[in-house]
Amino acid sequence: MVRRGKVIKGNLDSLLLCILDQQPMYGYQIIRELKKRSQGYFEFKEGTLYPALHRLEKSGLVAGKWEMLANGRPRRYYHLTAKGRARLTDERTKWLDFLNAMNLIFQPASYKG
Amino acid sequence: MAPVLSRYLETIKDNLRLDPSEETDIIHELETHIEDRVQELKEAGLSEEEATHTCLKLFGSAQAIARQIYEAHSQGNWKQALLAATPHLLYGILFALNWWQYIGWHTIMLTIILGIVFYGLWHGKPTWVFPWLGYTLLPVVVAGILLFYLPRVWYWVAVPVYMALASWWVFYTVEQTIRRDWLFSSLMLLPVPIIAGWVLVVEPWTGFTSEIYQRIYDFAPWIALSFVSLALTIVAFLRIRQRWLRVLLLIIAGLLMLTMISYYTHGRLGLPAFLILAIAMCGLFLVPAFLERRIRKGNRKFKESVVIE
Repeated sequence: MVRRGKVIKGNLDSLLLCILDQQPMYGYQIIRELKKRSQGYFEFKEGTLYPALHRLEKSGLVAGKWEMLANGRPRRYYHLTAKGRARLTDERTKWLDFLNAMNLIFQPASYKG
Repeated sequence: MAPVLSRYLETIKDNLRLDPSEETDIIHELETHIEDRVQELKEAGLSEEEATHTCLKLFGSAQAIARQIYEAHSQGNWKQALLAATPHLLYGILFALNWWQYIGWHTIMLTIILGIVFYGLWHGKPTWVFPWLGYTLLPVVVAGILLFYLPRVWYWVAVPVYMALASWWVFYTVEQTIRRDWLFSSLMLLPVPIIAGWVLVVEPWTGFTSEIYQRIYDFAPWIALSFVSLALTIVAFLRIRQRWLRVLLLIIAGLLMLTMISYYTHGRLGLPAFLILAIAMCGLFLVPAFLERRIRKGNRKFKESVVIE
């Protein structure tokens, strides 16, 4: 049986691109947002978030910038680049096609062929 | 911050082996995350100790995080890889075109090498500078060979001076490299057994006679090939992300190049010399790893003693 951690790891890059599509966020904020939006499903070792973010940054899909919070504490905010947005559109299309195909198999009643 | 959290971040930093400014940035980012999480846990009713313990558990293994961040940052781009391979390619061209006979070309090469090394050292020691730094050891080897040609009286005066200066420069370059990453030191020292292999084949200590010149002339294409192989190894090294693959690459490439020297020189590099060079090569690769451990252990002890005082 495939563990949840492995599923998340395989899709972490897409998840991060999707989360950052709405607004720039810093690491801790991303973790909270992922947990909130997935209703607690996406919980993983928090340290593994940073290698993924830095990998995306090196690939030019996201860009990081230090900014000050209202309380004067610095945080590194990540935002999507144009390349990242294009990748996200591509990933979304692939994911919806996959989901559609899976539904056709798991719910044959919905198949109108 | 609790000492256990500081130690945790210190372990990550020790295992990152990246550019110092990059390391500081990464550690600062992780630190802010940890502070946020500890604060949230304390607000949820946990004690300082419980919050710290839970936070570290949620964060994951320090070594694994450092390794993954290293892999995200370590891959050089093609421009950096080409720049790192350039000194080997230049020497390859020098032998391929038989320009090795002209002292002028050697002077130009040395000037370029020193210029680029000083530029690199001045600009935060980027990854591509380490193969160039390795070539600053070449004049040390050449000067050592030239000592054999000095008159007897001068020889005994020059040897202690040479030994002191050469040891200082070798120690300085290796130490500087190890402080960044022991693997770069191994990369820098990779040409040493290969060049030593060619020196053993050519046997220049018998005097620069026409026979020696002819020997170098005959082997020049293969010497050039060795330098091109070194250049290709450097390119592959910089493009690989994983550390263990990088170590494997250096060992395999080094052994293949020594085998090539032995094969194309028709046994002039005999089995005992081959084995000695192979062992020396493994030593050159592993000694930096051992020294790095010693340096870091020393640094940690020093920091602890400062904290206690």
